[in-house]
Amino acid sequence: MKLESVKRYAKKELNGWWIISLIGAAVILLPILYVFLEIFQEPNENWYQIREYLLGNYVINTIILVFFTGILTIFLGVTLAWLTSAYDFPFRKFFRWGLILPLAIPPYIAAYTYRTMLSYTGIVQSTLRNQWDVQINPELLSFSSLRGAIFVFTIFLFPYVYIIARAFLESQSSSYIENARLLGRKPTAVFFKIVLPLARPAIIGGAGLVIFEVLSDYGVTSYFGIHTITTAIFQTWFGMYDVDTAMRLAAWLMFIIIGVFILERLLRQRKRYHLSNKSKPLVPIKLKGVPAAAAFMFCTIVLSLGFIIPLFQLIAWAGLTFDKVWDISFFTLLTQTVSIAAISTAIIIIVATIIANVCRSKWAFPYILSKVITSGYSIPGAIIAIGVLAVFIQLDETLAPLYSYMGLGDAPLLLSMSIVMLIVGYVIRFMATGYNAVEVGFEKIGTKYTEASRLLGHGITKTFFRVELPLIKGALFSGFILTFVEICKELPLVLLLRPFNFETLATKTFQYAKDEMIHEAAIPSLMIIAISTMSVVVFHLIDKRVKK
Amino acid sequence: MYITKWFKPVMASAILAVGLAGCGSNQNSSDSDKETTKKTTTKNEVVNVYTARHYEADDEVYKMFTEETGIKVNVVKAEAEELIERLKREGESTQADLFLTVDGGVLANAKKNDILQPVTSEVIDKNVPENLRDKEDFWVGMATRARVIVYAKDRVKPEELSTYENLTDDQWKGKVLARSSTSLYNQSLLASFIELNGEEKAEQWAEGIVKNFARQPDGGDRDQAKAIAAGTGDVAIMNTYYVGLLANSEDPEEVKVAESIGVFYPNQETNGTHVNISGIGLTKHSKNKENAVKLIEYMTDVEAQEYLSANNYEFPVNPKAKQPELLQSWGEFKMQELNFETLGEHNAKAIEIFNKTGWK
Repeated sequence: MKLESVKRYAKKELNGWWIISLIGAAVILLPILYVFLEIFQEPNENWYQIREYLLGNYVINTIILVFFTGILTIFLGVTLAWLTSAYDFPFRKFFRWGLILPLAIPPYIAAYTYRTMLSYTGIVQSTLRNQWDVQINPELLSFSSLRGAIFVFTIFLFPYVYIIARAFLESQSSSYIENARLLGRKPTAVFFKIVLPLARPAIIGGAGLVIFEVLSDYGVTSYFGIHTITTAIFQTWFGMYDVDTAMRLAAWLMFIIIGVFILERLLRQRKRYHLSNKSKPLVPIKLKGVPAAAAFMFCTIVLSLGFIIPLFQLIAWAGLTFDKVWDISFFTLLTQTVSIAAISTAIIIIVATIIANVCRSKWAFPYILSKVITSGYSIPGAIIAIGVLAVFIQLDETLAPLYSYMGLGDAPLLLSMSIVMLIVGYVIRFMATGYNAVEVGFEKIGTKYTEASRLLGHGITKTFFRVELPLIKGALFSGFILTFVEICKELPLVLLLRPFNFETLATKTFQYAKDEMIHEAAIPSLMIIAISTMSVVVFHLIDKRVKK
Repeated sequence: MYITKWFKPVMASAILAVGLAGCGSNQNSSDSDKETTKKTTTKNEVVNVYTARHYEADDEVYKMFTEETGIKVNVVKAEAEELIERLKREGESTQADLFLTVDGGVLANAKKNDILQPVTSEVIDKNVPENLRDKEDFWVGMATRARVIVYAKDRVKPEELSTYENLTDDQWKGKVLARSSTSLYNQSLLASFIELNGEEKAEQWAEGIVKNFARQPDGGDRDQAKAIAAGTGDVAIMNTYYVGLLANSEDPEEVKVAESIGVFYPNQETNGTHVNISGIGLTKHSKNKENAVKLIEYMTDVEAQEYLSANNYEFPVNPKAKQPELLQSWGEFKMQELNFETLGEHNAKAIEIFNKTGWK
């Protein structure tokens, strides 16, 4: 009798987690599916025209951009992670978390800032001209096209790789690295033979986020005039007035990305390293003299380029335009931005945790499911917005009789005119940032604690709350911060899905930047950066307490 | 037991946040219920606007309108094509009353997509000349901007300039600046040439400009002016209102740039300077039609027109409205005579020509 009830209990619990996952996945998938199904529609002549004349060039540009950004972010992220976790040098503790700060600056703001700084009226050229009467060839400083975009993406997105790689190195790799050191391996050999192969899943996870972000970017690429697949999507939509073909392009882009990630997984399958969970934290080696100075300089340069220089420039511009732009309504913008980001992030982390928990098995289905629900990150925000809009309007029209029955008035567009639609949009778009972090957390603890707990009679829920949750809380927290910062910075989605009179700091920034009013855009930009920076600092403080 | 101290509050607040999200959304929907019920009871209180014009001056005009009439203006701002898509999908259920955007081609596209309806109002007819309204009154112009030739005052005499076509002359080899062809402003400019001079001539023109480029297209309109100041090129194709923004910038370096360049209205002896238009359309399924028409009337009235022109450096559509000094200093000019709808009709062709001629 008792055994029976335990069995039934376990079964029920299992189903509960699965049901929640499937419902969550369905809500996320519907709008994505709406875009995806466009592949099966009859293509029109625009499609053929694009395929014939443009696609080749656009695909090549996209590949160049993704390849170089990917390689450079991995190089920068992993090197810095290795440096700050395996060595000790002046200000290492500060750099350990300070190097996350470039993430606080949205790439499109960075692009505007750097470009204007280096332009004819910018600080570099005007100082040279007015102070020393030096005229330099402006083409030398030309900050645009692929070169500029690769720089911006690398410097402002590398922290994705850095955070994940560092967390991994600090907590997981010490026994391997210390053994290698004991056995007399040189630091470079340790790095290439041990660190890189071991950290591969972490690196791929971080680089994946970077690549997603680059692929879906419209702000930076269109500002620099680079033709990528994403700008092609928009040119088809805004230029040829053909939203169906635009969605079709987006669908193919998504399809290819999911394919690449599944391929990566298949290739990796046989090379899984089971890491010891009990490993002690890595003990850094103290650097002295020239190596210490070099390490310090390297970190300082990266941090200056990625945070300090643009920050000071923006502060200077904010000073110029403060009287004109600043008013009390910025506080409303601030609270609106923070509260919508916090709510959306909380939902993302909870849903991601539930789905990641049931997707830990080795079957193909959960794996593909997990890749599909996170694929929203690779689609340009405006295209997701169309999917969300279509689904919500449909839903509203279906529910309209219910609304009027409930006495909610006879305007049928209730949900799609509310903030709910925007929140769902965010959840779909940024599920990847939350999910990847949670997934890394689960991968790190492996399955043996879970198995032990289940064997000892805990149900899946109890196991989760008593065993797994305490083990992955760090991962959840970093996922929360990453996602929160992303949502604060997000633009295209909020433009299209917002209800009446809803402004965030990002829309305010856009309002100025669209008109090339870079100086006026400085104040809202700085506020976005301030929120993001504070999140990073909070992250650091809590991280420190956890470590203790 | 396993849960450490800090985790509980975080989890609790996460749960709370989700709870709040639920409440928040309920609250929000009940807010909008209130609004809708309000609308059904006292109809004349709001007007809902979807706008692709992101200017602060517009917001100010809405405020002035509310003060004067008591009608509240609710706004969603996004890209024009996105708003058209949203309106199409919302169909009959839409709450939007007005659609505002820049560019005649986009306005024509909105009309073609069947999301607008004709507006009839004597006041509007009086405020806005016929050539700045849709032939069938599906939209009403509210401001215009000219795409002109800007030149380096110290290196180019205005007498050397004449037409857009003249810029393809060998005399300007390595001296012409323009932004990327992805800009709608350039697309509409070329579309106007397709309409006025035919496809072949338009293509020759684009080819000639590309041949004379001082550098590959780079940056926005303002960047072209800066490139003139830097000496990269001598002449640039640029919108008038960016010159206004530069001249009134907080950055003294930008003001210097504006001072070093002159504005030239091309094609005065031939078919006129290219002008593009911002317009307002009444949505097909508008629920507050009366208020909406009132807002159009207000925005085309002298007071609002002068405010927009003074703060946004666009040309007013209302002939009675006075222009700010800067615009006046550039003098009167003859504009292209064409139906703005044709800008939309030729847009795809224009993009094709740009791609073919290698105008990046």
